[in-house]
Amino acid sequence: MSTVTDMTEIEEAPAETTAGAPARLAARTRNLRKVYGRTVAVDHVDLDVPMGAVLGMLGPNGSGKTTTIRMLLGLTLPTAGSVELLGHKMPDGAGWALPEVGALVEGPGFHPFLSGRDNLMRVAAAEPHLATKDIPRAVGQALERVGLSAAANRRYRGYSLGMKQRLGLASALLIPRRFVVLDEPTNGLDPAGTREVRAVIADLHAAGTTVLVSSHLLAEVEATCTHVAVLHKGSVVAQGELTELLEAGDSGLLVSTPDVATAVNALRDDRIPAREAPNGVHVDLAATTAPEVVAKLVEAGVAVHEVRRQRTGLEELFARLTESADKGNGLSDVDTFEESP
Amino acid sequence: MTLALDAPLLTERRTKAPVGRLLRSELRFMFRRPRTLVALGLLVIGPILAGIAMAVATSTPQGGPGDRAIEGVATLVADNGLILPVFVLMLCMVMLLPMLGAMWSADALAGETQTGALRGLLVAPVSRVRLLAVKAFGVAVLTFVAVAIITIVGIIAGLTILGGDGLLTMSGNTLPFGQSLGRIALMAVLVTIQVWAVAAIALAISAATEHPLVVMAAALGGIIVFTILNNISALDWLHPVLLTDGWDSLADVIRDPMPTDGITDGLLRAACYIVIGYSLALARMSTKDG
Repeated sequence: MSTVTDMTEIEEAPAETTAGAPARLAARTRNLRKVYGRTVAVDHVDLDVPMGAVLGMLGPNGSGKTTTIRMLLGLTLPTAGSVELLGHKMPDGAGWALPEVGALVEGPGFHPFLSGRDNLMRVAAAEPHLATKDIPRAVGQALERVGLSAAANRRYRGYSLGMKQRLGLASALLIPRRFVVLDEPTNGLDPAGTREVRAVIADLHAAGTTVLVSSHLLAEVEATCTHVAVLHKGSVVAQGELTELLEAGDSGLLVSTPDVATAVNALRDDRIPAREAPNGVHVDLAATTAPEVVAKLVEAGVAVHEVRRQRTGLEELFARLTESADKGNGLSDVDTFEESP
Repeated sequence: MTLALDAPLLTERRTKAPVGRLLRSELRFMFRRPRTLVALGLLVIGPILAGIAMAVATSTPQGGPGDRAIEGVATLVADNGLILPVFVLMLCMVMLLPMLGAMWSADALAGETQTGALRGLLVAPVSRVRLLAVKAFGVAVLTFVAVAIITIVGIIAGLTILGGDGLLTMSGNTLPFGQSLGRIALMAVLVTIQVWAVAAIALAISAATEHPLVVMAAALGGIIVFTILNNISALDWLHPVLLTDGWDSLADVIRDPMPTDGITDGLLRAACYIVIGYSLALARMSTKDG
């Protein structure tokens, strides 16, 4: 990939650097809060986006994903709290941080009477880091990268939803970036388009670019992300590495056995929580280990066909994190924001 | 994927795109809008049609909406070609030019917010102050071009259709050709500045909404209200602050000798409106959600 930033030249510019931040973060928010009128859209958001990570931002509609991203990019001023983007305080450091940030926020925004290429030329003219003579080449490369070369000279008016989305992606990838923010990048894309977006994200990740993807499509996040932040009702309810979050969730052991009753009784005798599961027994590993459980079962003469560590899927994790605060209320309601535990 | 032959894109370490590049890009964008092209096309046709109409109706036109200034100008038209640009400019000043100024201001910020394209510029990034300056520049240039088209086409159409080589003033004497052109140019400049004042206020409204129609409605409604207030003599005390109050004195340009009081007042008033308009736009722009 020839269009990738040289990651060696990170340190420079009059950065109002984070005094001794432990790991270098591409973006950091502290106590971020945004109130629209009497509606609290986002509150107490402490988001960390580690350098080089692909962070999936998950949350139901209205959970504050887009508001957070808009504050991150300086499009909206926070009511309270601070934002740091690539080591620069936002929004004052926008001139230093944003040229290295590519963003697709709230869908593509282009003019219908211009062609895709002319729309990109217009955005390119505003890119500080792009030399004037390189503009046509950068636009051509970006169009090619998202597979729009053939439609580049058609008017944006006639583009399909997927093509519009691709053009938005192209403007985010116009020049090599250190940080790319994609808000619902696969909206309106067909399965092939979704795969292409994944490939683009994988390319960016391989090149060392930090990526922030917001989505409500869990499979997409699980397939592409290294880190996850879950938003719910305007606050971050969980964040960290994807694998850690999944393992920390629910550690259980699934034992396939025909002697369900015997197994459950044997385990409960030893104060190991166990319950009947569809194909056998589910054992809670909170207070014990897998080998111990197997030993107990064998001791009790239970026939064990298969023992399997149960991992929480992202979907389950997400449901648990977002539904626990909901108490059965199907639609999350931003207005009645409450402090999450 | 990129071709192997392509050199990596040379990235320049700077925090702003060159301002000349932004201005060029903005002008290219504004001039490619279909509605801009239609409007400018109409402005070419307008003076020609007016010239033909005047040539056909050799008698004095029956004073239309009763605007005394326009009526006064119209009586002077016969065999007096250079009066055509003056007449058309005054006619356009009543509604068409303010409307175009408001339309371009509406497109500049509200229209761009509506399509979401403004977001793209803000994250590029273009700072909000620069963005406003670029937009104001675009609107100002378009307004100037519109007035220039009316004036130039008016002069050519007047000379070819109505004939004559001097300007018969409202005071009764005829100015020589060179001086006539000077007066017409002065008129065009004055009209441009008055339209800039309308556009500046419209730009402030444009920064506060994402609906271009709101801008148009507010600007045109404002002009209509101002015109009505201006015609109520009981409200004399209010007239000095009304922008439209200065528009009647534009006809002073074709008096000889030229009275300058009304023109100077009009310029000052327009300047105040421009300062107020851009200040409000700047205030709104700096906190606006992109």
